[in-house]
Parts: sequence; C-alpha cells; structure tokens
Amino acid sequence: MEIRIRGVSKYYYSEGKTIKALDDVNLVIPANRIFTLLGPSGSGKTTLLRCIVGLELPDTGEISIGDELVWSKDKNICVPPERRGLGMVFQTYAIWPHMNVFDNVAYPLQVRDVAKDVIRERVAQTLRFVRLEGFERRPATKLSGGQQQRVALARALVAEPKVILFDEPLSNLDAKLREETRKELRAFLGKLQITAVYVTHDRVEALALSDSIAVMRAGQIIETGTPQKIYFDADHRFVADFIGRANLVKATVRAEEGGYTVVDSTLGRIVCQQRDLPVGGEATLCIRPEFIRIVRGEAEAHGNLVNGRIESLVFVGEAYEAEIRVGEERLLAKIDPEAKLREGDAVSFTLAPAHCLLVAI
Amino acid sequence: MDHSRSKLTWLLIAIVGALTVFPVLMLLLGSFSEGLTAFGKFTVHKYVEAYTDPVLFDVLANTTLFVLGSSLLSTVLALFLAYLNTRTDIPFKFLFKIISLIPMMIPHLLFAVSWALLLNPSNGLINLALKQALSLEDAPFNIYSIWGMILVEGLLDLPIAYLIIAPAMASFDVALEESSRVCGAGTMRTFARVTLPVLRPAILAAFILGLVRSLASFAVPSVIGMPGRVPVLATHLYEMIATGFATDYGKAAAVGMSVLAASVTLIVVYRALTAESEKFVTVSSRGFRPAVIGLGKARTPLFCAVALLSLVLIVLPVAVLLYTSLVPYSMVPSARAFSLMSWKHWSDVLGDPISLLSLKNSLFLGVVGATLGVLLSIFVAYVIVKVKTRASGLLESLSYLSFSFPGIVIGIGFMWFFVQTPLYATIWALLLGYIGTYLPYGIRPMSSAFIQIHSHLEESSLVCGASPLTTLRRIIVPLLIPGIVSGWILMASMFVRELTLSVVLSRPGTEVLAVQILRFAEDGLWGKLSALGIVMIGISTSLVIAATLVGNRFRAV
Repeated sequence: MEIRIRGVSKYYYSEGKTIKALDDVNLVIPANRIFTLLGPSGSGKTTLLRCIVGLELPDTGEISIGDELVWSKDKNICVPPERRGLGMVFQTYAIWPHMNVFDNVAYPLQVRDVAKDVIRERVAQTLRFVRLEGFERRPATKLSGGQQQRVALARALVAEPKVILFDEPLSNLDAKLREETRKELRAFLGKLQITAVYVTHDRVEALALSDSIAVMRAGQIIETGTPQKIYFDADHRFVADFIGRANLVKATVRAEEGGYTVVDSTLGRIVCQQRDLPVGGEATLCIRPEFIRIVRGEAEAHGNLVNGRIESLVFVGEAYEAEIRVGEERLLAKIDPEAKLREGDAVSFTLAPAHCLLVAI
Repeated sequence: MDHSRSKLTWLLIAIVGALTVFPVLMLLLGSFSEGLTAFGKFTVHKYVEAYTDPVLFDVLANTTLFVLGSSLLSTVLALFLAYLNTRTDIPFKFLFKIISLIPMMIPHLLFAVSWALLLNPSNGLINLALKQALSLEDAPFNIYSIWGMILVEGLLDLPIAYLIIAPAMASFDVALEESSRVCGAGTMRTFARVTLPVLRPAILAAFILGLVRSLASFAVPSVIGMPGRVPVLATHLYEMIATGFATDYGKAAAVGMSVLAASVTLIVVYRALTAESEKFVTVSSRGFRPAVIGLGKARTPLFCAVALLSLVLIVLPVAVLLYTSLVPYSMVPSARAFSLMSWKHWSDVLGDPISLLSLKNSLFLGVVGATLGVLLSIFVAYVIVKVKTRASGLLESLSYLSFSFPGIVIGIGFMWFFVQTPLYATIWALLLGYIGTYLPYGIRPMSSAFIQIHSHLEESSLVCGASPLTTLRRIIVPLLIPGIVSGWILMASMFVRELTLSVVLSRPGTEVLAVQILRFAEDGLWGKLSALGIVMIGISTSLVIAATLVGNRFRAV
C-alpha cells in the first residue's frame, strides 16, 4: 500500500522554545518497496515514522495509508494506532518479557479474536518464516539479541499487515550480527509483497537494504531517490557528504563540453558529470575516496590527471587510507594495499568524470 | 592483609550474630521454657497453651483481614499515584515526592492517634462536626474497627509501596505498550495485558512488603484496635506480656515464633520477587521520552483526589495534633474553642518528670545509638562490599536478617536474654535492641557509599604516590561522608520514635517518647499526648530535612 504524507509538521515545546521536529513534510512512499528514512539523529526521521504509525500526532497536514485517510488536521480525522493495521519493529524490539515466544507472536491475532487453531497455525508458519521454529515455549527474555529481533519481526508480520515499519531495528546488535541480520531482513522482505518503511542513521544499512531512500535533515526531506542515485548522483551537498565519505573541493564552473561540465578548482581543471549550473558560478566538487585511482608507471591516464604527494598512510586492512596533498588541498584516498607507496612519495592519480560529482554550494 | 581482614570479618559476624541471631535463639529457647525466671527448664507446655487458646482463632482471622486489607489498599493507591505521576500530565508533581517522604516525618503512632482524634465515635472531631451539621443521633464513623485499622495502616504503608512501584513504572520501556497498540490492542487491553503483567513483580513486591509491615505494625493495632477490641497478633502478644496480672513471656514466645516464621518467609518471597523484577529488564531504551497521556477533563478531579490524599496524609495529622494540644478537651473548632486555647497541656507535659525523662532517654538513644550503629555499619558494609569471601557473604545475610523481624517479637527474644543479665531494665538494653533490629537501615547507605568507591579510585591515589593512610584520609573518607551522614540521620530519626521494640523492653526509668505517648493514649490524655507528639514530630522532621539537605549538597559535588 502506498503511504501519502502531505504538509505534515510536528512541533515540540521545550523551555519556551519551539522545535520543529517535522517541517512541512510531503512524501509519497511507494507500495511494496523498501523505503528508508535516513538522517542524522535529531533529523525527525523517527518522529515521521511514529506519525505514520499513530504513536505521535502531527500538528498539521494529512497522512493516508492506501485509500484510508488516517490523520487529517483539517478534517479532524485521527485513527488510533491499534486500528491502522500496521506492523512495527521497535528499536528495543519491545518483546514483552512476561510472555514466551509463542504468546508474543500470537498477540496481534489474539487481540483480533482469531480462532485458536488458526492462531497456532499462523504463528508456526511465521516462526518458520523467520527461522525460529521450535522456539515457541522459550521465555522471550532467554533469547539472544538477534533472536529477539526475529521475534519482533514475526510479531509484526503475523497479522499480514500491508505496511511494516522499522525503527532502527539493527542498532542494538553488534557489528557482525548486524550485517548478517541486514542480509536476512532484505531476503525476508524480498519474499513478501509488502511496503516497508525503515528508519536508520546508518548509511551502509540504508544503501544495502533500500529500494528507495529519503534523506532527512532538521525535520525536512532533502532528497529522495534510489541508493545509486543518492550515492553517485546526489543533488545536495549535504546528501553527498552524509551518504558516504567524500572530499569536498571548492570549484568554479567554466564550461559545458560534450555532455560534461568542466570546472576549475584547486586540483586544476576537472571534467565532471554534467550538471545544470551557470557558467562562472561557484559549486562544490565531491570526490569519493574509492574513486581516486593512483596511476602507476607510464600507463596512459584516462580522465582527469592530478599530481600530489602522499602526506600520511594508514593501513586499515582491506586498503590503505592515504592523505594526498595537492596544493592547499588534502584528499582522502583509498589505495590498493599492494601498492608500494610510502609517506612523502609523489603520486599521480586520475578521477573518472562519471565519479566527479558537482553539487551546489 | 588478608589475615587481618578475615579476622575482622569473623569478629563482625560474632557481633552481628549476637545482635540478630541471638535474640531469635533466645526466643526459641524461651518458648520451650517454663518462665522468665525458670529459663532452661524445658517444656512444651507453652506451645500447647498458646495454640489451644480459643482467642487465637479470632486473632488470626483479624490479623489476616487486617494485613491483607491494608496491603491491598496501599498497593492499589500506590499504583494509582505512580501511574499518575510517571505517565500523565497531572499538575504539581512535587506533591508525589512529598507523599513519599512523610512517613519519615510523622511517626506511625501519631498518625494513628490523629485518626483516632478525628474519627473516634464519642468525640472524634469529624464525627462531632457531622453530628452537629446533620443533626445525627450517632456518630457516623467509628475508627475503632477493623476497617478503621485497615484504612490507617493502608495509608501508612502507601509511601513504601509507592517507592517500590514508582521507579519500576518510570523505568518501564514505553515501547512495550506502543508495540501492543500497533499490534491492534486498545488502551485498556494494553494496560491489562502488557502494563500490569510487566509491572507484576514490582506490584507483588510492594504488596508483600506491605504484608510484612502490617504484620509487624504495633501502632495502629494498639491505638485503634485495642479500644475497638479488635485484637491482632501484635496486640495479642502485647497483652500477654504487658497487661493483666500474670505476664507470660513463654506463651508470647511460642506465638512469636510463628509470627517470626511468617515474616521471614514473606521477606524471602519479597527478595525473590525483586530479583525477578530486575530480570524483567530487557534491552534498555535509548530514552525516547515516554508519551505523556493527556488526562483532559479528568485532570482537575484527579488532581483534587491527589491533593486530598496529601491533605489527609500530611496536613490533617499535624493540624489535629496541634489543635488538640491547645484546647482543653475535644471540641469542634469554633470561636469558643479558639477562645479557650491555652498552653496548659504543653506546660503540663514539659513539667511532667516522666515525659521529660522519656524525651531525654529518646534523645540519648537517638544520638548514641545512631553513632554506635553507624560505626558498626561502616565496618560491616566495608566487609560486605570490599571483602569478597564466603564469610563476608555470611555476614551480609546475617546483617539483613533483622529486616524481617517484627519489632515486638524480637523484643520478646531480647527480653529473654536481658533478664538473665544485669542489662535488664537499663537504657543499654534498649540501645542494643535498637541497633540489632535497625542495623540494615544503617548498612544500606554505607554499602552504597562503599560501592561508589571503585577500587580504581583508591588505586590511582596509590599510583599517584599517596600512602595508604593518605589515601584513606584524602580519598576514601571524603567519599564516605555522605553515606555516614545519611545513615546516621536515618538511624537517629528511627530511634527517636521507636515504639514496637520499646514497649517490650522499656521499664520504669527507661521510658522513651513513643512509649510515653502510648501511655497517654491508653489513659485518654489527648492534650498532653498531642503536645509531646508535636515535639517528637519536630525532632524527626528536622532530622529528615537535615538528611535531605546534606544529601543534596553532596550530590552536587
């Protein structure tokens, strides 16, 4: 089901000041996709999620889920959370400690007065789906973090909601488990025809999981798009910077040439992805560390060729992280660990135009 | 180092054991003895006599009703108050903090007396006022009944129940409720199926502690139950040892053994429950501010209910005592009453040698008892927290044992002991009894002070070049001072108003404040009682305020 949010604002009042947790948010979350709300803490992403579920009431605007209007300030409509028919996985999982796994998962069906044998069958089916069969009689508090997480998922799925919401569900897991669970979650959601709204501040999680990402800041949605669009082709400097590590370099637009935009910067003249920017205007050139390619020997260089000197070199396992000094600029680069380089070496590197991203200042 | 530590541990075990286990042993031996003067001549006669007494059945029935009723009342009220405070937008939340502090300021005995003054059937102020206003023949209320006892004891135990339930409610992860809402359950269903069950250990713990406290309660049964001829176990025991011609400590010990066993069992259950409630804590929330429930139209009426409760708990008892201490006899406040007011009761009390003696004794017991008690607590807490051996575990269990002792029962145990020694009928008997019975209240603040002193703090001082002695002076003692001060004040305020142990151990010449007040109550000398009571409230209130101030000052550091 599609979720439409129109003109939603939410204010908090503290110590006489008004804080805009949500500032006139307009958003359409497409049906049967994994949609992620990504942003730093305090950006309003959790508040937006809670407004969709109905745990938080906005101060303005309308929210509809599918064809049903669940919140409207003007029409005075407010459907309470228990009648919105959604599923949600909380950050803390909110597994009820006084119930066992079966009762936790059966709860949504029990409160809907579903027949007992149907409940048993559906719970068994859902537990099998999240690979927890045989855990029915376990006390919920005797489960590991990852298992609790799957119980929470089973509970959110058991009543077959059309929309499922996740509030940073992986943030309480350790790094390795987080990666596994993320893959699993992606697989689970891929099998279901379901709209998933996912809140996270972790960019890797967002990129790996989502069909679509909305990046938020200070209660506003800055940019929406596919993970590739957000990563390679962001329109906003904030988004480009937030979604991955980036070297941001000041630049001046010089020309439009053959499907590329050409700029002057402290790195010299750089050919970039095409952007509609006025010639002579200021812009920011955004280069991700992994796209800085060191040129070795006399091999012919493609794209923009830049010369610099290695200022520092840190071994981080799968690569070296190098700081390359070019004039006044210091660029972070990711270099092949096999490269025989040392601090102080002069290096040349190339930047493919497709990975030279221009964003407005 | 280890050797001296273990010597210290065993020395403390001997002292604490003498103070806690010994009276229980004496109680046991006494229950099988022929009499106080014939200790050691064994017989089961006392048990037969005690448990075939036809009155006992009534006593047990009354006790059960009283104990269950008052605990239920206090738990339900506490749940209601805690919910209002932590989860709703009710105004003036500071009232809740005050409600949780009063039992420290107004001694139970005086609280019970003030209710007797308000609601007794012959001249209770509220009864008189209602009779006049509605021109009734009979008094509408009679506090001298089992229901009156339940009401007053329930209100007295409310703050303790609140102190157990409110933190559990505050640390409750609201996501548990929210997820139930999202799953399709409404507010009421969520409350019944999620909120209450998750809080169950805390609620049950509050209820059971209520049972223990009302079982040990002597103030309410003696001030309200005895005139109403509603005997419960505490007053049953009291009657055996303090009234009538033939006091029978053997029979009292035989009954006391059962009371003690019941109380210890309940405390064991209570401990298991508090352990379970800690287990119920799941993944801790990142602290999303819990949604406050808007009370809407119910806000004002609910606030009025809370305000009324605090009026009933705090203002009314003090006001009625003050008023009674000034008027010549019980009368409804009126112009005439105010014109008749005088300081007569006050001057009578302050001229009464026994009252003065009891004041002197109580102050002595408060100051000296608390000082010795805290000194002992410091060593015990040190061993419990810093020495981790099997012996220190034994010491810990021993030192918390007396927490479950009903004062009057353990008093009887002490009596069996003191009678064999020259300590009998001296103030030292009271002093030892107090310290033994209230030791847990001194150890608790001390051990939390010791827990705060992480061994790294000590070690870094040593590494910085300070000698062990300098470390003790510059690091450990300054960190301990808040614990010492609050432990001392807590013990002193408890000793100043101690009643249940004192009614057993106090003899002519060793009267203490609470016992003297009880005598006034038995003789119906309400004016004198109120004057002396206000003095007692004054002392214990200033101690509690001092403790709060000290606590705040040190917390700021």
